[in-house]
Amino acid sequence: MTFASWQFGVFACGVLVLYYLPPVRAYQVQLLVAASLVFYGYGQPELLPLLAVAVLGTYLFLLLALRNRALWLPLGIGFNLALLAFFKYKFLFLGTQPAPTGQPLVDFLLRLPLPIGISFFVFHNISLLVDMTKKEAPSCDLRGVFLYIIFFPQLVAGPITRAQMFMPQIAPKYLSDVPFVDATRWILVGFFFKLFVANNLNEMTSHMDFPLYEALQTQDRWLLVFLYSYQIYADFFGYSGIAIGLALLFGYRLPINFDLPYIAISFSEFWTRWHMSLSNWLRTYLYIPLGGNRRGTVRTYLNLIIVMGLGGLWHGAGLSYLLWGLLHGAFLALERPLLPLLQSIDSIWFRAARIGVVFLCVSMLWIFFKLPNFDHALSYLAGMFRAGTNPNPTKLFYNLALIYSLPVIIQHLGIHRLLQTRLRVLEPYLYGAMAALAYLEAGPETAFIYFQF
Amino acid sequence: MDQQSTISWLVKCGLSAAAFMIACGIATAWVGSGLPLPATTTRDGTLITLNRYVQEDVPDVVLVGSSLTFRLNEEYFATPRLRNLALAGGSPITGLEVVLAQPRLPKVVLVETNVMSRPPDDAVIARYGRGQNVEPRFLRPIRMAVAAYENRVHAPLTHAQVMAAMDGLLKQPPRDFDNSIYLRRAISESDEDPTIAARANVERLAVLMQKAQQLGVRVKLFQLPLPKEIEATRMVEITRRIVHGRFADPTLWLGIDVDANELRWLDGVHLDERSAMLVTRSIDKALGQIL
Repeated sequence: MTFASWQFGVFACGVLVLYYLPPVRAYQVQLLVAASLVFYGYGQPELLPLLAVAVLGTYLFLLLALRNRALWLPLGIGFNLALLAFFKYKFLFLGTQPAPTGQPLVDFLLRLPLPIGISFFVFHNISLLVDMTKKEAPSCDLRGVFLYIIFFPQLVAGPITRAQMFMPQIAPKYLSDVPFVDATRWILVGFFFKLFVANNLNEMTSHMDFPLYEALQTQDRWLLVFLYSYQIYADFFGYSGIAIGLALLFGYRLPINFDLPYIAISFSEFWTRWHMSLSNWLRTYLYIPLGGNRRGTVRTYLNLIIVMGLGGLWHGAGLSYLLWGLLHGAFLALERPLLPLLQSIDSIWFRAARIGVVFLCVSMLWIFFKLPNFDHALSYLAGMFRAGTNPNPTKLFYNLALIYSLPVIIQHLGIHRLLQTRLRVLEPYLYGAMAALAYLEAGPETAFIYFQF
Repeated sequence: MDQQSTISWLVKCGLSAAAFMIACGIATAWVGSGLPLPATTTRDGTLITLNRYVQEDVPDVVLVGSSLTFRLNEEYFATPRLRNLALAGGSPITGLEVVLAQPRLPKVVLVETNVMSRPPDDAVIARYGRGQNVEPRFLRPIRMAVAAYENRVHAPLTHAQVMAAMDGLLKQPPRDFDNSIYLRRAISESDEDPTIAARANVERLAVLMQKAQQLGVRVKLFQLPLPKEIEATRMVEITRRIVHGRFADPTLWLGIDVDANELRWLDGVHLDERSAMLVTRSIDKALGQIL
């Protein structure tokens, strides 16, 4: 069930109405857990037992770690990483069609597809184990654990919420406390970015796939790289916006995941603006435990590259994802000694140039996301630096490309801040127009890009 | 935000969305949505082709087929009142079903039989197959604006302009282009046994041909030429055997007589512009004998 389907609309409205009925108030958490199971099991019920194993297993390790943290915490983390490794990376070693072993259970497990959202709920599980076994941690019960891990707005693609932020929010919720306008803003802007921007741009960037890119002119290869940059932002920002808005309707605040990433003037700033919940998670549970910047310059650089490399592999089992992460790590390490010098230059043009360089590099690296096959990615890149020879190249409509990219550009230019001034009175009308455009001009339906991770 | 402000905000938002939709609905009723919108995918192109077919006058000759026939632009044909209803990525049966379901029928339907393993698009048949008005309730304002701009700035060529360009192109020798990467891919994709799907589709085609005959429509089959490497693949060989086995009567076939040395395929299977023109001239000649 995807957010953009009518089935989800009916489902979400039904759950919301039930949720705030006075007789149900005592069972709100149970209702959300049940609704989340329906949401996750819809279309893929065979994966529900896996979800149950992940949650119950983590809960068991949590209880044990509360008695002996030194022993059971690493084992609990290992259990979750093993789950992730088995489902996400088995194809790397066994191929997409593993040979039968003769053991029905093993064969069944080997044939299971990649469970949607496993990367996200495994990270939630690890956060739960680490945060809830600290001395000052709030208490939690099985219902709370279930809700934290499988809360349906954030189950399949985040934002990755830290347990110590989510758990204290579990309490009876009242309709009168719901910030309806905030929730509506998030949901409308999320659908607008997904349906209007991302899905329409996806029509164009589908020409980046192999072998279609062979028919592109050189300048169009460059254009599509930037369009994909806008598309992946609009797609994931859109998803996160819908998730945040839905959670608000149920009385929960999820972390904001994006803060205008394409105006970052450095790679380190980019990672404080892009997929912020993942960056926070990696910093808290990987970079700092590795020693962070406390063990000397060389070790700091190495830690940055290791963390980003693992972050790349978290997205998918492939050389392209690994290289994407390692290159981001390398950029972070390379710019680190230069940052004091760069920041000492106070010029608007220099700042604009830095934004341009970071955006260009980030966009070029998205090619490894769009084309996970490493050979295809390199072939696409090579074609960006030589003249095309196809006598009948693909025709792209530049005016449509500009129009569908415009919301991302306007948002990053900060024009929306006008709405916080005297133009605030126009805000509801603007959101209404966005809702209508999202419906009328929606591009062909495509899954959210981050669902595959 | 207090309760009153919240309600006021939500009402304004809802009203503005509704006003926008109503404006687009009125605009659709006023100007229609017939302006050909820019197609960026094959599905888009399919809907544009079919929308045009059900909205415009019934032609004398209709071509149905796959993307191979889709490349035969209507402007290349000298035969008047001819429409190409081939659907990129589709099956010829989809087009034939739609044609035969309309209240008014053409005199001749030419059916390409190169690709018989693809299933007909039942959603498209259901949508267009009842001869109903398929105009959307709301136009897409941005696409419509871009379409109007594109039609104004890049107005389609007249038939005379196309004919002059064709003559110029046909005087030139065939243009060679290194299509080996596409050809290799096409050969590997054609290494499948299409027997089950092709047999089912050929039987469905036979039923439709019988129905066409009862409705007074003449149906002729044709096969477009392919590179010899593709002709030798399992999929093409088996499909040809099944089709010719079922439709053995030579009078059912429209002969396409083109010098194979003059033909080029951009991506290994689809004719380039000059080759498509040569093929359309051959089809024109054959049609002249039956019309």
